[in-house]
Amino acid sequence: MSQSYDRGLIEDFGRWREFSAGMWAWIFHKFTGWVLVGYLFTHIAVLSTALQSPEAYTTTIQSLESLLIVRLLEVGLLAVAVFHILNGVRLLFIDLGIGLEAQDRSFYASLILTGAIVIASVPTFLVGVFG
Amino acid sequence: MAEHYSSFQRGGVRWLIQRVTAAFLVVVLAFHFFLLHFVHHAADVTFGMTSARMQELTYFSLMVLFLVTATFHGVNGVYNALINQGLAGIQKRIVQGVLIVASALLIVQGLRTAVVWAGGIPL
Repeated sequence: MSQSYDRGLIEDFGRWREFSAGMWAWIFHKFTGWVLVGYLFTHIAVLSTALQSPEAYTTTIQSLESLLIVRLLEVGLLAVAVFHILNGVRLLFIDLGIGLEAQDRSFYASLILTGAIVIASVPTFLVGVFG
Repeated sequence: MAEHYSSFQRGGVRWLIQRVTAAFLVVVLAFHFFLLHFVHHAADVTFGMTSARMQELTYFSLMVLFLVTATFHGVNGVYNALINQGLAGIQKRIVQGVLIVASALLIVQGLRTAVVWAGGIPL
């Protein structure tokens, strides 16, 4: 039997202290989604330098990659993408009715796994940037 | 009681397509990151390397499908998030138009770049 549950207004971020794991997962998924769609437009804009000339493309990519701030932003992008992927898989399972009772634990697992993957990837993302 | 949070109305067409594109993107986005940051390093990317990959029909078509599904998934997500925040009426129609035009421009620009890399459509 279905039950009604007044979760209150999740869009009222002033209530953040009362938010449950599922609400935080929803907010993080939305935030990472906005970042990723913003990045998609930026990414295509940068790659479009290939339309000018092969040299313009290679120079643009390699110049950007020589900047420490760009490497750090890439690590941030990895964190955002990995969380969105893992939480997305969690949502797909929940929509199929699998793991609904463990949805809070699977959210924490997504966070921990994201942190582990990002930390393990830092050396790869920073290789060569210090000269 | 287990709760369900989503910006989508469950059972709708937009909800379904968002899930189908998500299942595809989970795999392809992970592959894209792995290939271009772990197998190759982004700092070593050159036009020649990108061009060589894009001349393979399988890779070219995968990247084109990636572009289209990622654009749809991202823009559909934004649209539904805005509706969830209360977007309605004429504002909803305007936002819908802007997002459709932005998506079309992004896909056209991405396709033009892909064709330049591949030196034409690799058939």
